[in-house]
Amino acid sequence: MKSASAPTPSFRLPLQITPERRRVLFSYVILLAVYAGCVAVSRDFLSWSTVRLQLVQAAFIGVIAIGETFAILIGQIDLSAPWTITLSAILATNLAAQFNAQWIAFAVAIGVGVGVGLLNAIGVFALRVHSLIWTLSVNLLLQGVALIYSNAVAPTTRIPPVAGFLALGNIGPAPAAFALWAVCAAVAIGALRLSPFGRLVYAIGNRPAAALLSGVRLGRVYTAVFVASGLCSALVGLLLAGYASQAYLGMGNDYLLPPIAAVVIGGAPLTGGVGGYVGSVAGVLVVVLLQAMLVSLDVSEGARQMIFGALLLALAFAFIKRSR
Amino acid sequence: MTPAESRLAALRRVPVARRLADRAGPLSCAVGLAVVVGLYALRQPLILSPFGLASLANVSVALALAAVGQSIVLLAAGLDLSIGGQITLINCVAATTMGASGLSVATVVVACLLIGLCTGAVNGLIVAYGRVEPLIATFCTAFIFTGAALVILPRPGGAIPDGFAAALTESWGPLPLSLVLLAGAVLLVWIPVFGSPLGRYIVAVGDDAESARLSGLPVRRVELASYMLAGLFAAVAALFLAAETTSGDPGVGQIYTMNSIAAAVLGGVSLSGGRGTLIGPILGSFVLAIVMNALGVFNVSAFWQNFIEGLILMVVLGLGGLRLLAAGNWLALFRQ
Repeated sequence: MKSASAPTPSFRLPLQITPERRRVLFSYVILLAVYAGCVAVSRDFLSWSTVRLQLVQAAFIGVIAIGETFAILIGQIDLSAPWTITLSAILATNLAAQFNAQWIAFAVAIGVGVGVGLLNAIGVFALRVHSLIWTLSVNLLLQGVALIYSNAVAPTTRIPPVAGFLALGNIGPAPAAFALWAVCAAVAIGALRLSPFGRLVYAIGNRPAAALLSGVRLGRVYTAVFVASGLCSALVGLLLAGYASQAYLGMGNDYLLPPIAAVVIGGAPLTGGVGGYVGSVAGVLVVVLLQAMLVSLDVSEGARQMIFGALLLALAFAFIKRSR
Repeated sequence: MTPAESRLAALRRVPVARRLADRAGPLSCAVGLAVVVGLYALRQPLILSPFGLASLANVSVALALAAVGQSIVLLAAGLDLSIGGQITLINCVAATTMGASGLSVATVVVACLLIGLCTGAVNGLIVAYGRVEPLIATFCTAFIFTGAALVILPRPGGAIPDGFAAALTESWGPLPLSLVLLAGAVLLVWIPVFGSPLGRYIVAVGDDAESARLSGLPVRRVELASYMLAGLFAAVAALFLAAETTSGDPGVGQIYTMNSIAAAVLGGVSLSGGRGTLIGPILGSFVLAIVMNALGVFNVSAFWQNFIEGLILMVVLGLGGLRLLAAGNWLALFRQ
């Protein structure tokens, strides 16, 4: 039953264990197991400096996973993240260098995010192309744009100090990137649980035809979701530029699968309508820790891809809606 | 003719406009192919020589094979995003194991075709029996296949004997051998399959899986078979690519996933299943591949190629969407 996805009516005890909550709980159990596994592989995972590193990495994937969670909740997917990240980083830092103004970088990143989001929404909503195929094509197009723009020469960049601070700095004991992620996560969870937007997202994910007949403006919600997703990726592009102190072609290539895996591990089936960002947070941490574990185990790139694919498949199995 | 028979005949008669609409994909592809080759020949007349035709065929045949495989899955209302991964894996296996002797070449060719059937069967089992959505299932297996290829061959390398390469890529008189390979694959696989009940079952399942199930068709086995056939075509494409480049490359298959879908859609195969022809996707792949090849020949910068490729994909996919929009009202789009 998908109806469990609606916010729990107020007369129920807040701690009642719905199937929904069990899934989220399950993803946090996986997180604990994976962290235990990491500690077993290497004692380094007990030290704050290692954990801090993972939290920064988790922040990057986590912010992309916000948009991905929205997209998956309406039963779609957004695979245009890698080159949105790269294009946003290259355009923003390069234009900031040319015009010698920090705010330009942020304006350009927002522009790229909104533009990509609108392009995705046009294809997925207006033209009814399956989002997986369409957003992959958009990704290819963006790759082309990035290549043409940079002409395969490392562009002169100016990293906005704010982006550098957000990626590398500290707020109190916590990394600034993590703090930023926490704020974004709170906004995302609030938007999904408390706002009308969230209810429309779940309505569309559960049954688009019913949502349409109930008068939901599907186009607006699709557009909002894809624009949010584009904005998240573009923001991460800027953060990554700050993190590496440069913007380069292919910098977003590692960010295609991890955010999706995070959402699925977080308990949201790719068919949409079920799940939320609380689970995705656990999923993000699981993915980041798994990556770190595979790195410290010295597993080759090929084996890493195989493990990731198999893991995602296993989770798709575990969460499948058995209706056919 | 009795009145009943004439009524039946009238029912069977498909209106001309409808028949034309069904053939719109292949027809427009044929026109497009003529235009593309014509423009190409204006700039580079040598392209009409036997050598030029062979080179055009060589750049197109791998995509055509992949697109035919993709079309079989699409006809059954599935989707195979792992075509590129399968091609990559089999290409790497072929390049690392194919020795120089005739016996080892023959063994490896047969083994590669079997691997194609197996990878296809993995997809088919997960989709048909595991009930995972085709899109998700093959998206995941694509990573597994590509990862396996990287394990076998981390960077481009391996070796393909010259004799094998020549047998697939050179010309026999004016006839490019790659076209013979394509025709052979079609004659030995597509024609028998689609002349048999299996072919009709594939189309029936793709048209409406529920009706097919209620009519007593073995829906799951049919879906499994469609993925296995796609894997077989991917294997042939991979062997051809190995012959064309005389080496293996763990990145070789990547572009074939999206391009095979685009070629199939361009050739009039419906993404929602049950409708399509054989000739459409083949012509569609020739148009796509020759356009991409021409970009390089006409000195279009390599940096523009991704952009133009993405743009072509989006326009083709968008056109398919427009056709869907014309088909019915908004609610019909959600009915499944």
